[in-house]
Amino acid sequence: MKRRYRSPRTAPLIVALITGVAAVTLALCVAAFLRSYRASVVQGTRTSSAQAVSQVVGTVSNYVDTLEETVNDVMAEMDTPTESRDAYLNAWLNARSEVVAVTTYDEAGTLQECWALDHTPRTKILRNLSFDLNMAELYGDGYISSPHVESIFEGYYPWVVTVVRAMPAGSAVHWVAVDVRFSGLGASINGVGIGQHGYCYLMDEHGNMVYHPQQQLLYAGIKSEEGARLAQLPDGTYVEDTVIYSIQDVPDSNWRVVGVSYIDETVNDSFWQMVRVTLVTSALILAAALLAGWIISRLLSHPLQRLERAMEQFEQDADGFAFQPVAGTREVQELSDSFGHMVGRIQRLMTTVREEEINLRKTELKALQAQINPHFLYNTLDSIAWMCERGKNADAVKMVHALARLFRISISRGHELIPIEKELQHAESYLLIQKFRYKNQFTYHFTVDENCLHCLCNKITLQPIIENAITHGLDLMVEPGHIEIVVCADGEDILFKVVDDGIGMPPEQVAKLLKNEPSDRTGIGIKNVNDRLRIYFGPQYGLSIDSVPDEGTTVTIRMPRVPEDREGDYEKTM
Amino acid sequence: MKKQCKTLPVLLLALALLTGCFSSESTTGVQSADSTRYKVALVAKSTQTDFWKAVFVGAEAAATEYNMDLTIDGPETEEDYEAQNEMIAQAVRNGAQALVFSAIDFDANAPAIEEAAKQGVKIVVIDSAVNSESVATYIGTDNYGAGQMAAEAALDGVPGSLKVGIVNYDVNSANGQDRERGAVDAFAKSGRAEVVATIHTLAEATSAQADTLEMLRAHPEINALLAFNEPTSVGAARAVEELQLHNALWMVAFDSNLVTVDALQTGVVDALVIQNTYEMGYFGVESAYKLLTGQRSEVEKHMDTATRIINRENLFALDSQKVLFPVS
Repeated sequence: MKRRYRSPRTAPLIVALITGVAAVTLALCVAAFLRSYRASVVQGTRTSSAQAVSQVVGTVSNYVDTLEETVNDVMAEMDTPTESRDAYLNAWLNARSEVVAVTTYDEAGTLQECWALDHTPRTKILRNLSFDLNMAELYGDGYISSPHVESIFEGYYPWVVTVVRAMPAGSAVHWVAVDVRFSGLGASINGVGIGQHGYCYLMDEHGNMVYHPQQQLLYAGIKSEEGARLAQLPDGTYVEDTVIYSIQDVPDSNWRVVGVSYIDETVNDSFWQMVRVTLVTSALILAAALLAGWIISRLLSHPLQRLERAMEQFEQDADGFAFQPVAGTREVQELSDSFGHMVGRIQRLMTTVREEEINLRKTELKALQAQINPHFLYNTLDSIAWMCERGKNADAVKMVHALARLFRISISRGHELIPIEKELQHAESYLLIQKFRYKNQFTYHFTVDENCLHCLCNKITLQPIIENAITHGLDLMVEPGHIEIVVCADGEDILFKVVDDGIGMPPEQVAKLLKNEPSDRTGIGIKNVNDRLRIYFGPQYGLSIDSVPDEGTTVTIRMPRVPEDREGDYEKTM
Repeated sequence: MKKQCKTLPVLLLALALLTGCFSSESTTGVQSADSTRYKVALVAKSTQTDFWKAVFVGAEAAATEYNMDLTIDGPETEEDYEAQNEMIAQAVRNGAQALVFSAIDFDANAPAIEEAAKQGVKIVVIDSAVNSESVATYIGTDNYGAGQMAAEAALDGVPGSLKVGIVNYDVNSANGQDRERGAVDAFAKSGRAEVVATIHTLAEATSAQADTLEMLRAHPEINALLAFNEPTSVGAARAVEELQLHNALWMVAFDSNLVTVDALQTGVVDALVIQNTYEMGYFGVESAYKLLTGQRSEVEKHMDTATRIINRENLFALDSQKVLFPVS
C-alpha cells in the first residue's frame, strides 16, 4: 500500500518530464546561442573597430601630411623679403582657417614674430604655451605638442596643438611654430562611430588627449579615458571584459588613434531578449505540457482511475457489483473488457459455489432425515410396546400419534420451509415422546406469539436444540427440569428461544457445538441448523448459545419473518 | 490512437515554441522605437554670461548623452525673478517633465517652483537655491566654502591688515549671500581683516563698474576687493583698471570669462574662484534623467561641484586650462 502512494501519478509525471526536458534543452540552446553570439559580436566589433580606426588614421594621416607640407611652405617663405612673406602668410592663414597663429623664435626661444588673423600678441606674455625650448632641443628637428590653450593673445584662447620645426641652419629664425586648431579634424573623428556607443579619439604618445568627441566632459572631470595606460600598448585590438580598444599609430606623427567600443550593450540586449524569449517559451511549454498532461489524464489516467475504483468496489462487494465498461485509449478499453469478463466469470463462479453449497446441505439434510436416529426409534417403539403390555393403551396411542406426526412433519413433502405452527407441533411431538421415555423427568412449556404462527421457518430447527437440552442439560439432573420454548417477533425478525434450567455448558463445549457436527451420533446437529439458517437468510441470522454452568442454557434462533406467500423468495433451488 | 496521443503534445509544443519566438520578437521591436524622450527645461539666471554658457554646454552634453529634449531659457537680467517664474510656468505648460533651475530670488521663486512640483514636475536646482521643499536635489558650488576660499586667497595675497571691499549682487540671491557670509566669517577669523564696505549692485557689468568706482573712491583705504559673480567681477575689474589700482589692491573675482582671465594676466585681478559650471549643467540634467527614470535613490539631496582658485602661477597649468577654457 505504501509504495502505491509514493509513486507519482502518470499525468503530473508526464507534465514534469516534458517541462524538464524542454527547459533543459531550451537552456542549453540559449546558452550555446549566447556563447556563439557573443563570440561573433566580439569578432564583428573587433573588425568594425579596427576598420573605423584605420579610417580615422587615414584621415588624420592625410591631415598631418598636408600640415607638414604647408609648414614646409611656411618655412620656405621665412627667408624671403618681409613684405612678400607677410603677404604670403596672411593669404595662407586666410586659406587655412584651422591655423591660429604662426610664430618664430630665436635660438634662446624668444618670440620673434607672430602672424595671426585679427589678433596681435600681448606685449607682456605671462606664459607662451606654443613653444617649449626644452622640447625643441630634445627633439632637434621639431615636434608636435600636446593640446594646449593659445596663450599669447588677449581675449582669445582657442585649444590648439603646435607644430614646431627647426629652420635650416643659416636662417634668420631658429624655430617656427604653427598653432593649429583641430576642428576640421574633429568633425571627421566625431563622425566615426563604432556600434551603438563606440567612438574614436586621438591621443599623443603619452596618452594626452589630442581630440576626443567628448573632450569637454573629459576636461570637466565627468568622464575619463585610460589614455596613459593605452599609450603603453602597441598597435592592435584589445578585448577587455566589456570594452574593445583598437589602437593604431598615425604615421609620421606622435599621435595615436584609439577606437573604443562596447560589447555589453549589444550582447546584453540580445541576452535580455533571449531571456524574454526563453521565459515566454517556457511559459508556453508549461502550458503545452499541462495540456498534454490533461489530454493524457483524460485518455489514460482517468479511465485507469475509474478502473481502479471499480476494482476496489468489486473487492468490497463482489456480489452486488455491476461493472460499467470504461472508455479510453485502446489499452484501457482492452483492460476494461478483460476486467469485465473476469468480473462476470467470478460472479458466475461465486453463484455456482453457493448453489453447490446449498445442494450439499440439502442432500445432507435429506440423508439425515432418511436415517433418523435409530436408537430414538427403538427406544420409542420399546416404550410403546411396554405401554401396550402394561395396558396403557391410551398413552400408547398418544405415543404412536406423536411418532407419526413427527415423521410426517419431518418429511413435509420435501419442503424446507414449513409454517412455524407445524414446526412447533414437530417439537411438541418430540417432547411428548421424550417425556414418556424420560418418565416425566422434565416439564415443558410453549410461549408463542400468535402472529408468528403462520410465518415460515426451516423445518427441524427446534428438535436438535431440544434434544441437546435434554441430553446435555436435563438428563444428568436429579431434580425434574423444565424446558421453556418461546417464539416471539423482534422487529422484522422472529426469535425462537429454547431455555432449560439444566446443568449448563462451559464455553468450550458451546464453541464445539457450533463448530463440529457430532460424529458419535446420527441425526441433525446444532451446527447443521445454524448452517442452514445462514445459507438461507444470510450471515446475520442463525443461532446463539448463552449458557451458564449449573444454571441453564438459552439457545436463541434468529430468522427473518417469512410470510407464507413469500416462501418462493427463499426456496431457491430446493 | 496510441501514436496520435504521443505526437499531439509534441506538435503543440513545437507550435508554442514558434509562436513564443514570434510574439517576443514583435514586442521587442515595438519597444526599440524611442517614442519616450523625456522633456527637460533649464531655466537659468541669465543666458548671456560665459558662466551660464558653460552650464548650457554641460547641460546639452548630458541631454545628448541621455537622449532627452532640453530647452534652455533665462531672463534678460539676473534680477528678473518674475520672468523666471513665467518661464517655469511656460515650461510646465509645454510639457516639461523635469525642471533644472537656478533661483534669482530665494523666496520669490518658491511659489512657481511649488506650483510646478504640484504638476508632477521633478525639480533640480543648480547654482542657486530656492526656498522650497519640492526640490529633489541641489547641485552647485558650496557657496559658503567658495566665499571662504575667496577670502583666504585675499588673506594669502595681502600681508598685514586688510581693508576689504565687497561687491555683491542681489541681496535676495541665496548663493551670493552664502558666499558673502563665508568670506566675512573667514576675514573675521583671521583677525587682521576688516570689511569696510559692502555694496549690492545689479548683476551686470556697467552698473557694477559704476558702483565699485563709487565705493573705491569713498573708501580709498581698501586694499582687498572681492566680487562674487561673473558680471560683478567684470565690472569691479574694470573699475580697478580705470583707477589704476593694479598694485595697490588685491582683487579676487568669481568665475571665469575672457575679461577676468585677461585681467588676471595683466594683474588687475589677482585670483579667480572658479566653479565647475560645465559639471553643474551636466549633473543637473543627468539628475533630472535619474529622477525621471525612477533612480531617485541615486540622486543625492545635495551635491557640491568642485571649486578652485586660479592665480597667475597656475593659470596655464593643464588642469586649469581644462577648466577655464571651453573646447570649441
